[in-house]
Amino acid sequence: MRKKRKDVNTITTKKYFARYWQLYLMLLLPLLYFLVFKYAPMIGNVLAFRRYRPGMGAWGTEWVGLTYFRRFFGDPAFWRAFRNTLILSLINLVINFPIPIIFAILVNEIRHLAFKRVVQTVSYMPRFISTVVVIAILGELLSPSSGIINILRERLFGLEAIYFMNDSKYFRMIYVLVDTWQYTGWTAIIYLAAITGIPSDLYEAATIDGANKAQQIMFVTIPSIMPTIMVMLILNVGRLLSLGFEKVLLMYTPDNSMVSDIIDTLVYRTGLANQNYSYATAIGLFSGLIGIVLVAGSNSLSKRLTGDGIY
Amino acid sequence: MRQYKTRSNFLFNLFVNLVMLTSLLLCLIPFVYMIALSLSSPKAIINNEVFLWPKGFTLESYLQIFNYPNFFHAYGNTILYTFVGTGISLAMMILFAYPLSKTRLKGQKALMKLVIFSMFFTGGLIPNYLLVSSLGLINTRWAMLLPFAINQFNLILLINFFRTIPEDMEEAAIIDGLDYFGILLKIILPLSGAALATVGLYTAVFFWNDWFNGLIYLKSSQFPVMLFLRNIVTGTSMVGDAAGAGDKTTIAISIKSAVIITSTLPIIVLYPFLQRYFVKGIMIGAVKG
Repeated sequence: MRKKRKDVNTITTKKYFARYWQLYLMLLLPLLYFLVFKYAPMIGNVLAFRRYRPGMGAWGTEWVGLTYFRRFFGDPAFWRAFRNTLILSLINLVINFPIPIIFAILVNEIRHLAFKRVVQTVSYMPRFISTVVVIAILGELLSPSSGIINILRERLFGLEAIYFMNDSKYFRMIYVLVDTWQYTGWTAIIYLAAITGIPSDLYEAATIDGANKAQQIMFVTIPSIMPTIMVMLILNVGRLLSLGFEKVLLMYTPDNSMVSDIIDTLVYRTGLANQNYSYATAIGLFSGLIGIVLVAGSNSLSKRLTGDGIY
Repeated sequence: MRQYKTRSNFLFNLFVNLVMLTSLLLCLIPFVYMIALSLSSPKAIINNEVFLWPKGFTLESYLQIFNYPNFFHAYGNTILYTFVGTGISLAMMILFAYPLSKTRLKGQKALMKLVIFSMFFTGGLIPNYLLVSSLGLINTRWAMLLPFAINQFNLILLINFFRTIPEDMEEAAIIDGLDYFGILLKIILPLSGAALATVGLYTAVFFWNDWFNGLIYLKSSQFPVMLFLRNIVTGTSMVGDAAGAGDKTTIAISIKSAVIITSTLPIIVLYPFLQRYFVKGIMIGAVKG
């Protein structure tokens, strides 16, 4: 009896592979890629607990426990970067979370179809422009000697030129506004899709009840897309620690470093510029773990509130 | 429909159109300003006369960058990274997405978990750098291509798309004697044009815009054009030899603008035609296992 079942099993396994082996062959190379380029660096995080010596391998030489964690916990530069990351993220969330929602609602209200299409097409485009180009354009717009902003300030109001890019007072505002410029249109797509899904009889009923446009938005559109808004909000909270590293790095100057040094730039500077590999890995791992806790937490919250999560 | 004629709705429409017109202009003005600067004479720039229209029209800055070998070299590098990178990337993603789109396949669930987990927890900058370094890829062009062969978001987008293709088509093909490679090539891929265009475009834009990996992995002869631009902006590298020292900054401004425009041109020019593929991705790419 037992023997027979075993036979059946081996035959079906054999048959199974005879039928599907090509599918496994296909995924062999990509799987290898994942193990090498995604999972090996994950395991490489053990470097946070090991001492690195140049030329003696990427995994370090000996275990040192939590030495590096203790060191950065006592490092004011780390806490400054941590605070800068949180503040910048929160300002960004407060300002750039609602704007795409408002934008989507207004786009949806455009009566003229051709104009609507032009607005949509043009507003998505900045999303595909390189960060380098965006910051380079910004540098020219805001240049103290030749930038159009400073020229207009001087011509119209007689104000003195401000070196915006170098002044720590303006860094956060500029960062957030660049995000607004680059991502408003693109993020609005999701809300627009949700708005398109609202049944039109809801609007007809509201019109019969005498609701004007603003009232229809308040009492039909916004409540209808509330689930989408909630999911997006939770997603954004989960991503709180992951700012646009490249953008911050490009906007970073020694003069604005008090506010522009975030965790990622700190890791970059201590790690790659100063080659404190283990120390930088420890900081990176710490922020990565917080990130995972935030994602997992916000996801379970999302599942509880809306019955839907991202994984 | 009388509702639309009320005064409050008229004002509302006016408001909507004004706000939208303003955002349209805000999106476009930076580019228009760059074009105007790149086509203006250094004298007009130094006198702050240039706004949204070129003043003292000249093609001098374009001629200068086209005669600057490093610019051409960097531009060529970017084209190479974009084409080869997108090619490798598409091949790898198709090969993974097709088996993963079959939920009945043994091990498929575990592999999906492997993919999704790697979206939320990554190796971080330093372990990635040390990996590329210990693979001997530093100062080779492969460092720009291999580490980014698969983007998980795009992979899932493709998996979701493959799942929408009805399975009876495959069963019919198997009866006709096709194997899975044949099915993928002759049935799945021809039906996936739109999804492949979307994923291919996202990937191409990624490679076109990438500069940071060039900064940490490559030597200057291998730099992509975006890194070249970044180095001009930070003053790490100089373009053109200004005759007089006083002219140097203003010449630099028009040249910088010319580099900005030329390096963004392919995206700006192709974007309106390919826009529908760009937008498609966000709709079918819901991150779901």
